[in-house]
Amino acid sequence: MTEAYSTPLQTIISEFKNISPEITNTFIFKKNGEILAATQSADEAQNKKLIAAFNEIVDRSASISGLETLTIQGADSQMSITSMNNRYLVNVSSRAADEKTVKMLTGVLVPTVVKLLDQIPESSGNELTRVGKPGNEPTKEVSQQATKTTQGESMPDMFAPFSSEPFLPEPPMHQFMIEKIGGLLVPCDIVRIDGEVIAKWHDIYGGKKITRVHIETLEGKAILCGFKPIKEANNNGKGIIQFPEKVMQALQTSKGKLVIVKPEITR
Amino acid sequence: MLKSKTNAKETETLSANPVVVSAVDGETPTFESINTSLSEIRKLKGVLGYILRSDTSAVIDFPQSDKIIENAALSSQINESCLEITKQFNLGGMESVLVEGEDAKVLCINIGENRINVFMEKNAPHSGIIKRILM
Repeated sequence: MTEAYSTPLQTIISEFKNISPEITNTFIFKKNGEILAATQSADEAQNKKLIAAFNEIVDRSASISGLETLTIQGADSQMSITSMNNRYLVNVSSRAADEKTVKMLTGVLVPTVVKLLDQIPESSGNELTRVGKPGNEPTKEVSQQATKTTQGESMPDMFAPFSSEPFLPEPPMHQFMIEKIGGLLVPCDIVRIDGEVIAKWHDIYGGKKITRVHIETLEGKAILCGFKPIKEANNNGKGIIQFPEKVMQALQTSKGKLVIVKPEITR
Repeated sequence: MLKSKTNAKETETLSANPVVVSAVDGETPTFESINTSLSEIRKLKGVLGYILRSDTSAVIDFPQSDKIIENAALSSQINESCLEITKQFNLGGMESVLVEGEDAKVLCINIGENRINVFMEKNAPHSGIIKRILM
């Protein structure tokens, strides 16, 4: 399973706790036991035991034509397992969790994202991956056929909308308060951002190079500019962004004002 | 599984359509009263059948005999696996389990030593059935 597949799922389930704090554990697994995404609170050994127990039920579910969802109501907490095209979403929450919210997240949001991700070829720009799915003809044979086709006539462009664009999640947006920096060694067109935020962007986008950020004031003025991490460690985690004078002038803003910042991702 | 019980008085009724298999050994009043209410629930629209088991007794009621073994195996597995999961994840005592398939769903409730499994059509309202069982 590619990173482009698991990263969006990881991002979504990491947000579950923010949407509903009663959610204590969420993870997504494949029937073979591979865990595709999990919240930080997840205990891997515990999850593996669950997968084994759950698979035993799935193996005996022929009389109800396969298993789509399983819900356990305990005295203190509840668990739901939702099937999503050979993947399963597990969600544990306290009984106080809002039922509608939990159902919306587990029964609508994540299955929809999985459906969308399934429509995207695993390695962008290589249609053969999609053509040579398991269960079809052997990959080698498919590759040979494809080579012949490309030498002769052009292949029908079945996956054209996806082939040139790798799947990238929407850039996360952050709100920061402006702090002014100055000095001889400060480049006039580089802003300084919390190092942890930059690390998070790199986590989300894997090896993708991020060189510029999009900055927008609450008044709607926006610019693209280069960035570096904040030098002073004690300024990290404070929700500030450091602007040189020139950037402040370009945005017609000042110290103490709020701006919305997101990384510029080249698609 | 039912047939292997020792000293069990076993009855099998094959009237018109429904199949009722029961193996009863020293029924407790609770088992009896649960079975009575399940017999009533069985008549509701969308309910396909039920399995009631205790350590010493069992009743299986399905309209078709061809799925009895499959359903019994599934309900037994649900109970075993869900007890394990409940323990692993500290969910507290297992109150109810709902397993939904493509065509049907199974509601499982344990009352003391009595394990109840109600099989129903997918669109049947299960929350009302839970209330009736727990009444």
